[in-house]
Amino acid sequence: MVTEARLDILGILVLSGLTNGSVYALVGLSLALTYGASRVINFAQGEFVMLGALATVLFVTTVALPMLVSIPLVLVICAMVGLMLERFAYRPLVARNAPPLTVMIGTLACASIMVGAALLVWGPNQYFVPNAFSLDGITVAGITSTPQQLAIIASFAILMLLIWLLLYRTTFGLAIRAVGIDPEVSKLMGIRAERVVSFAFVFSAVIGGLAGILVGPLLGGHVSMGVVLTIKGFMAVILGGMGSPFAAAAGGLAIGLLEATVAFYGNSLYAEPIIFGLILLTLIVRPAGLLGEWEAMRR
Amino acid sequence: MLSIDGLRSGYGKSEALHGVSMDIEAGTVVTIIGANGAGKSTLVNTVSGLVPVMSGRMSFEGRDITDLAAADIVDLGIVQVPEGRKLFGPLTVEENLELGAYRSRSVKASEIARRRAFVFELFPRLAERAGQRAATLSGGEQQMVAMGRALMAQPKLLLLDEPSLGLAPIVVDRVFDTLAKLKGDGMTMLLVEQRADMALAIADFAYVMATGRIVANGPTDAMRADTRVQQAYLGEAGVFEG
Repeated sequence: MVTEARLDILGILVLSGLTNGSVYALVGLSLALTYGASRVINFAQGEFVMLGALATVLFVTTVALPMLVSIPLVLVICAMVGLMLERFAYRPLVARNAPPLTVMIGTLACASIMVGAALLVWGPNQYFVPNAFSLDGITVAGITSTPQQLAIIASFAILMLLIWLLLYRTTFGLAIRAVGIDPEVSKLMGIRAERVVSFAFVFSAVIGGLAGILVGPLLGGHVSMGVVLTIKGFMAVILGGMGSPFAAAAGGLAIGLLEATVAFYGNSLYAEPIIFGLILLTLIVRPAGLLGEWEAMRR
Repeated sequence: MLSIDGLRSGYGKSEALHGVSMDIEAGTVVTIIGANGAGKSTLVNTVSGLVPVMSGRMSFEGRDITDLAAADIVDLGIVQVPEGRKLFGPLTVEENLELGAYRSRSVKASEIARRRAFVFELFPRLAERAGQRAATLSGGEQQMVAMGRALMAQPKLLLLDEPSLGLAPIVVDRVFDTLAKLKGDGMTMLLVEQRADMALAIADFAYVMATGRIVANGPTDAMRADTRVQQAYLGEAGVFEG
């Protein structure tokens, strides 16, 4: 009986850890993807999760569109905002030879603008975000979960596979990796490096939006939800290893699992300081992150 | 084939080329010699579309290419082997070659395979190293990858920026053997080289550059005998052995 109860607890911890972890992982991997192509950490990345969640509220609750129609609309909006961020913040700064740090501050400014704009549209209230999948508990082998929770984990797994296929099984993916290694030389190959960077921003924005649609029903939609997720995603990148979307994703999962464990055995208030402490320790031992550096970093 | 007229270019506000004119005929090898900082690499990178043109014109096969993007230049068949090889170090030899053929995505797979076979025939060593990360190769092997990568694009005009840089003498000889072979196949080349003696030996025509200008030019036979050239560059650089 005792061991069975322990297994239940373990199952619940792993499941809830993986759910949150998947979202951190999605933010982390999109940060790493953008970083790989542009050498810039996009501090507005978490805001796309916010935009995804709140745009879902707009289309499904306010406009009363069916979920299946809303999802593509939400993703298109995120893609457009991602493109604007690249066109009107990243590109002008880079064209004026701004150092990466300046460009990053630029993305931080964009994050503030996005929150401000969202505040004008949605106000400061917490919204219930309509769920694409059921939130009713289902019990399998003694472990209770919800289809929404499982959908998050499944979407994450599918996205990881798709991104891997894109990066390692397509010529365009090879070009993305080449731009990450050396943008100038990639131009000599005839790769339009600027387009690869645009793609990274837009693709990351879409992933953020998707994460928002998925996790919104669990977290609730709020204009200030993005900041926390940017930080968690950034932690995931640092913990897993800079430059690799997959290392960053692994870092995100690890943070989610740690959070769930610490919250269960201690107090959720302590979860964050403990996790930050663990990350600090990890980085002292392995400064390049748990899984080390990706090819993009080894210039 | 390539015609450059009064070209001024540079990075930001600082002009590095101060009005360079040059002509390259199809099927010939043209060399640019000159000391460090003479602007040779800037010229090559301007032709490749990496350095912005301030004034002057460039045309290739009668088409104006002055304002084209780097990718469009590659599309026209002007392909560069950059100074210092500049391989994608973490990628394999095979992937580096694949990137060389990036603009040829619409080309048939059999044609790409033919080009790869040509590269492997030229550099049999690369076939053995195909799955190896480029960064783990020796300097000479890396130069082979850099040249093979450019050849994968099936260039009409090959720009070579200091292909002998940092290589052991015996390896340099091999690089020049390869260039001679390519010349024999009718490849048009623009060769930037510090080793003026070797460059003059393979080229048909030479330009001498100093501080962003062409200071002398002529057929290589005449250039070798030209005391101005020897004084201006060859003697001074201490690499003239002929």
